Amino acid sequence: MAGRRVLITGVGSHVGSLLAAQLERDPDVEYVAGLDTRPPKVPLDQTEFIDADIRDPQIGRLIPATGVDTIVHEQIVRQPGPGMSSRAMHDINVIGTLQLLAACERVTTLRTIVVRGSAGVYGAEPQAPQFFKEEMARLFPLRTRFQRDVAEIENYFETYSRRHDAVDCTMLRYQPAIGPGMRSQITRYLSQPVCPTFMGFDPRIQLVHIDDALEAIVAAVRNPVGGAVNVAGPGTIGLARMIRLAGKRALPIAAPLFGAVTSTGHRLGLDTQSDDFQRLLRYGRGVDTRRLTNEVGYTPHHSTVDAVEGWAGLARAAA
Amino acid sequence: MNQGTAISFMRRLRAGLDSGLELPEAITKGAAALPHDARETVERILDRMDGDYSEDEWGFDEDFAELVEPFFAFLYESWWRVKVEGAERVPAHGRVLLTSNHAGILPWDATMISMALLREHPLPRHPRFLVLDWAFDLPWISAGIRKVGGVVASPFNALRLLEQDQLVAVFPEGVKGTGKPFSERYRLQRFGRGGFVEIALRTGAPIVPVAVVGSEEIYPKLGDIPPLARMLGAPFFPLTPTFPWLGPLGVVPLPSKWRIEFLEPIETASYGPEAADDRALVLEISERVRGEIQHALYANLVRRGPAFI
Repeated sequence: MAGRRVLITGVGSHVGSLLAAQLERDPDVEYVAGLDTRPPKVPLDQTEFIDADIRDPQIGRLIPATGVDTIVHEQIVRQPGPGMSSRAMHDINVIGTLQLLAACERVTTLRTIVVRGSAGVYGAEPQAPQFFKEEMARLFPLRTRFQRDVAEIENYFETYSRRHDAVDCTMLRYQPAIGPGMRSQITRYLSQPVCPTFMGFDPRIQLVHIDDALEAIVAAVRNPVGGAVNVAGPGTIGLARMIRLAGKRALPIAAPLFGAVTSTGHRLGLDTQSDDFQRLLRYGRGVDTRRLTNEVGYTPHHSTVDAVEGWAGLARAAA
Repeated sequence: MNQGTAISFMRRLRAGLDSGLELPEAITKGAAALPHDARETVERILDRMDGDYSEDEWGFDEDFAELVEPFFAFLYESWWRVKVEGAERVPAHGRVLLTSNHAGILPWDATMISMALLREHPLPRHPRFLVLDWAFDLPWISAGIRKVGGVVASPFNALRLLEQDQLVAVFPEGVKGTGKPFSERYRLQRFGRGGFVEIALRTGAPIVPVAVVGSEEIYPKLGDIPPLARMLGAPFFPLTPTFPWLGPLGVVPLPSKWRIEFLEPIETASYGPEAADDRALVLEISERVRGEIQHALYANLVRRGPAFI
């Protein structure tokens, strides 16, 4: 276990930066490298920063040169942020993953790959079981662009691990993360003056606290298991209750008008919701986390309700 | 609540609002004039407005279920005059799978089974029931069903609930039951592929057959308009004596007289979880449950007498 050499893609993201800082402090980790075009969000003194675009074929030269045994793939864009087209998002997600895997072929020391994927691959469906298990990824058709991206990424990693018995490839399927300092679709949604909801729907939402999100990656690095593993805080929360705990008011909109109203709101400066997020707001989604506990050996500390309450408390204190 | 207290409540509420209080505080102030029970209800509603309530991971909200109980109590006592037999046969602890006949496009029968257990069982507990999945695409109904204990009819949900030692109600007739024409009332449809038996075997939960008489007269389905159903994404579009002719009023169920009988539990734990893959055993138990319910239905129909009086 000691003397691990880890490379993190997307080290400029919030989770990527915190993960690098945590691995730097870990006595079992001797070397950390971070790949991104964006600088890390927190100061990292021991991490070797590789300033390269994951879509660029030259990472096929840069990554093998590091001699790492573990790669944490964190550069997956969950929603197009400001100034990013959905085309660019697709490129980073799919082409980036392809380039990364091409580079992996040349890393002879590689033993472990951990991917921070998304539970979005299950979709959000009215007929869905309340808690998806890992083997239910293809229960429903893939409906959104992001879902198709994630499914494609998962396929690439599956094919890769079939060809490489010596490499354990863990696909972590994350529910949306929430926590202090986090800027994600869910925190942006809860920071608006009013939160648009689908009239008459109160879906079950499941989130993961940022601390648990990090610890789950570290646990998977220590104890990699092949295949997909769900990551989420225990329990679920109703959307209506989540909005009330955040101290906000819901703005119920009849389902057929939802898209039109929120895009008008976008022009007025409100946040816009991606297709995935809209489906989540209508139908919700929960996942079963027994595999994370039993096989990876990590049990999240913060329930979904705790995570929301903690975040809401901090947001109120800041306001 | 008598008229006097209502008036004094409104008066205090007005005074509170006039003196510049926000609505929730004004209601709290006004509530001081209410009798204790009503005051508690008002306070509970106010707490809920702040998000101060709890639901479990399925969305079941015991507080909410208690708040709406008077409505179901009215249906239970006055509207359908439900008579119950054998409630004590339902085990008071641990996992149990209630298996019942099913009719009516809304799960009224599930709510009445709940009421029967809450009223008649020595150690009452709220059953969770599996509801046809298309209901979860409907506004308000989807939210309400979840709050009182309904979950999407998926074997994975039933398994997880039983593993959590819950009391779970299933309707193996499924959509074939809700959609059967009036002329076929109380004739049990095929019990799917026996999936409920597999689930019981896998979890070792005893099966308690339940016969519900009365539910099959509340929406007498005389006809069906398949194209309209397809348009709405519903399994069928029923024509009843009142629906859709009376508009929203057509959704009001007819006041038939009900009987609910809980039968002797069928033990499954001794077969072991592997028996769930034994097709012959699964179908045999499934047929046995179906037969017992069918038999009890005919017996209770006779005991009930006329359907509406």
